[in-house]
Parts: sequence; C-alpha cells; structure tokens
Amino acid sequence: MSIQIIQVTQNLLANNDEVARLNRLQFLDACVLAVNLMASPGAGKTSLIIKTMEAVRGRAAIGVIEGDIAGSIDTEKVLAAGALGAVQINTGGSCHLEAHMIRQALDKLDLKRTDIVFIENVGNLVCPTHWALGEGIKLTLLSAAEGHDKAIKYPQIFIAADVIVLNKIDLIELVDFDRAYFYESVRAINPHAPIFEVSCRTGVGLDEWADWLLGQTRDDRRQSTYDSSQAHRRMVN
Amino acid sequence: MHEMSMMAYLLETVEETARAMGASRVTAINLVVGARTGAIDDSLLFYFDMMTPDTVAAGAKLNIRRTYMTFHCEGCDEEYTPEVGGFDCPRCGKVGRLTYDASELQLESIEIEE
Repeated sequence: MSIQIIQVTQNLLANNDEVARLNRLQFLDACVLAVNLMASPGAGKTSLIIKTMEAVRGRAAIGVIEGDIAGSIDTEKVLAAGALGAVQINTGGSCHLEAHMIRQALDKLDLKRTDIVFIENVGNLVCPTHWALGEGIKLTLLSAAEGHDKAIKYPQIFIAADVIVLNKIDLIELVDFDRAYFYESVRAINPHAPIFEVSCRTGVGLDEWADWLLGQTRDDRRQSTYDSSQAHRRMVN
Repeated sequence: MHEMSMMAYLLETVEETARAMGASRVTAINLVVGARTGAIDDSLLFYFDMMTPDTVAAGAKLNIRRTYMTFHCEGCDEEYTPEVGGFDCPRCGKVGRLTYDASELQLESIEIEE
C-alpha cells in the first residue's frame, strides 16, 4: 500500500464556472446583458430594478431572475412594475445563487425579446461574490444607511464589482455617511468601476445610471473569463 | 454560511480525481483558501466531517493553507497586509493600493492510497 500525492490545482468552483460559461453563451447568443445584482438585505435591490425599468421604458425590455431564500414577493413587484418576465428562484436556505439555478431559470424567460436580465442575488455581502452565474456585469449595490465602512469589512464584493451603485443618497446627512472614507476605501481595492450615487426614493441619479447601463448593452460582447479565481482577481498596478 | 456549498464542490472534485487515479482511499486533502473568501476554517472542517463519512475521503485529513490580501504603499514603496478594520499602511498610515486579493478557493492536491 503506497501513498501518492496527486497535484490537482483546481478551482473549487470549477464545475459552477463551467455552467456559468454556458449561461453566459446563452445570454450572448440572445444579445442579452445579464446583471448580477449583489447587496445586503434592505439595500434596495428590488427598488433599483423597478426604478431602472421605469428609466429605460421604451428603450429596453427587462427580465428579472429573483433569488430569495423563500417567497415570491419581489417577483410579483417587478411584474407589476412592467418586467417582460420574472422567474423566482427559492434557494431553500442557501445564502447565494449558483450557476445551475440560473440555467434552469433561463428556459422560463423570453430571452429573444429581452435586452437586460437582472439577476437579483440573495441579500448578503459575502457569499454571492464567489459564484459566477454567467453575468456580463457584476453590480454591487450599497445603501448609505449601511455605513461608509463596508468596503473595509466586505472587500471581496467591492473588488468583484464591475459597477457600484450607492443608493439612499438622500439619507447621506442623516446617517453621517463619510463620502471621502467610502471612496478612498473602494478606490484602494477597485480603482476603475464606475460609482453611481442614486436615490430610488427621490429619483436622483437614476437617469445617469440607466443611460450607462443601456450603453453596456451595446458593449457586452467583450470577452469574459469564467474561472472565478481570475474573474474575482483584479491585479492592480 | 456558504462553506457547505464549497465543501460539496470540493468533495465532487476529490471523488472524481480519486476515481480517475484508482485510489482506494484519500488520506489527505490540501486546500488553499484566501482570507477574503469569507470561508471560516472551523466551518469548513465541520461540513467536511459531516459530509465525508460514506465517501472515499472518509477519515482523510483536511489541510487548509490561508492566503492574505496585500497592498502596496506608494510613499513607503512597501507591500503590506493590513490589520483587520482598515486598508492603511502600518508604517505611514496612508491607504495603499490592492495588489493581491486573496480570493482563491483551490484544491491544490490530494494524497491517496492505491
């Protein structure tokens, strides 16, 4: 009986990443921009989707995949607000969405008639970061009420972000949100992602955000990698 | 929280590799886990113990090597790993730039009995 060491050197989530790659191809084939929306509970994920739909009405058709631990309240909300289609995924306790869950949901959306699919991840600033879903863009949403130190406490989700939206900007004075501290800490770990300050309540900043997003639907043919260790790694010079 | 999913993916890969190599038993699993994956050693070990008994990895030792974020401070021209609670350089206190994000979740190798 001999003991052998087998070198594997494989990303733990390689199987997930392979399914994510298939999802990505399906989105690209249908000319759909998929947005993986990650935030903590209560940051305003569903509100941002609804307000974005209003801002792009007549210019883009939106589909939504809602990830929740349980229930379908958000799906009903986005359908009432005019989503072309919405699919509810109940993770049954899991703290994040995985690529195979999106794979099953894709059949239930009319991708050919859709321009943008929002994938609303489970509310959580840690777990969703590591699972590629096949998205073209990772959107990290933070609300001012959560505090200016979140990039320090949860760096990974800010490192992974292609774009960052800071919601509830109307509360900035009330909650003593230190803008300089926030920007300094975010820029230390992610120097390039655009940051949009919005309020889903007052409407401020939403047009700029929506126009940028529409611009991305045209640029979404860019190459993208599905090895999550690489996708999440930004080597900064 | 997400350690259970991570462990499920890990065991899938371990079982595939062990089968391909014709292993009768896996004696050790060597894992690299970046500090910023949010995965906690105790939690990984807990799920490992829970999920391995009826697998080829039953009784194997799970070795976890940790990696840490590094930043570069322009003023001091030094690399550093910040203390918990900030990104600032321990020498001058300024916030540097991220050079390594410690996000790996990698199965490095397994040790098997044939």
